Amino acid sequence: MGIHATSDWSSQLKRGVLELCILQLLREEPSYGYEIVTTLDTLGPLAAGENTVYPLLRRLKADGVLETFLRESPNGPARQYYRLTPDGRKRLTALTKEWQSMANAVTECLDNPRKGDSK
Amino acid sequence: MTMDHPLVNRYLSDLNGALTQLAPTERAEVVTEIRQHIEDATAAGRPIDEILQALGSVDALARAYQLELLVTPRANAPAQPRSDRWLKILGLLALGSLPTFIIVIVLGTIGLSFTLTGIALVAAGIADSAGALPIWVRNDLEPWLAIVAGVALTILGLLSSWGTIAYLRFVVRLVRRVVPARSTVIA
Repeated sequence: MGIHATSDWSSQLKRGVLELCILQLLREEPSYGYEIVTTLDTLGPLAAGENTVYPLLRRLKADGVLETFLRESPNGPARQYYRLTPDGRKRLTALTKEWQSMANAVTECLDNPRKGDSK
Repeated sequence: MTMDHPLVNRYLSDLNGALTQLAPTERAEVVTEIRQHIEDATAAGRPIDEILQALGSVDALARAYQLELLVTPRANAPAQPRSDRWLKILGLLALGSLPTFIIVIVLGTIGLSFTLTGIALVAAGIADSAGALPIWVRNDLEPWLAIVAGVALTILGLLSSWGTIAYLRFVVRLVRRVVPARSTVIA
């Protein structure tokens, strides 16, 4: 198992976190597919293949947290951009909170797993 | 320009053919978006075959879309609409109100009357054995029998009172599960 189990674990972990990161990327300003993919690529472990990001973007749109619109581009035809909907902003706030409490709990667990026992 | 590249055209038309389970408009938007991706990546100086390789096989990409769009939306379906809620409440009332009515009336009556009668019998039995039975009470039972019967009746009465309460609790739980509170629906 070893390496295979590790990569499987991190891809499961990434699946959920990716959604949060895409919402966060779109928090300040709209963006388009290629820009989202390349930004994620610069984030090391968060890099996800095109065949993960593009389907996920469509799903987030179907869920109503993202919406698309066309914006003229200086060179070439109009591009499809993604932006957060009001529901998307709510979801981003909720997921951020969720992530922070999860991250705190995991850190605490790794530092001092038996905190409850020693008291 | 780049879009006339035979490999790109082939990839996009294969993708269009593979996304059979998506609605036509959705399918067209997906193909446009992937075309856009290939254009952007080409503009950034990446070679065509590398771009296509990074996108993965048409089948894998199509499967990823169908998994996200067909399976996941059902998993986190939107909160049930208001009319649905009322329909469920009505259904629950229609199916559950008669049995609830009967059970609560029967069990509740048995519970209350048995308990009270039992206590009265015990009291009468004790009074009788002490010879202090009021003159207006006629007791055909032996005092000890009255006490035993009274205790038995009280136990039966308490049991069915408990049954009534347990049943009501069960109904409340059932209603809560079928018709979740507004806050849990949103969360």
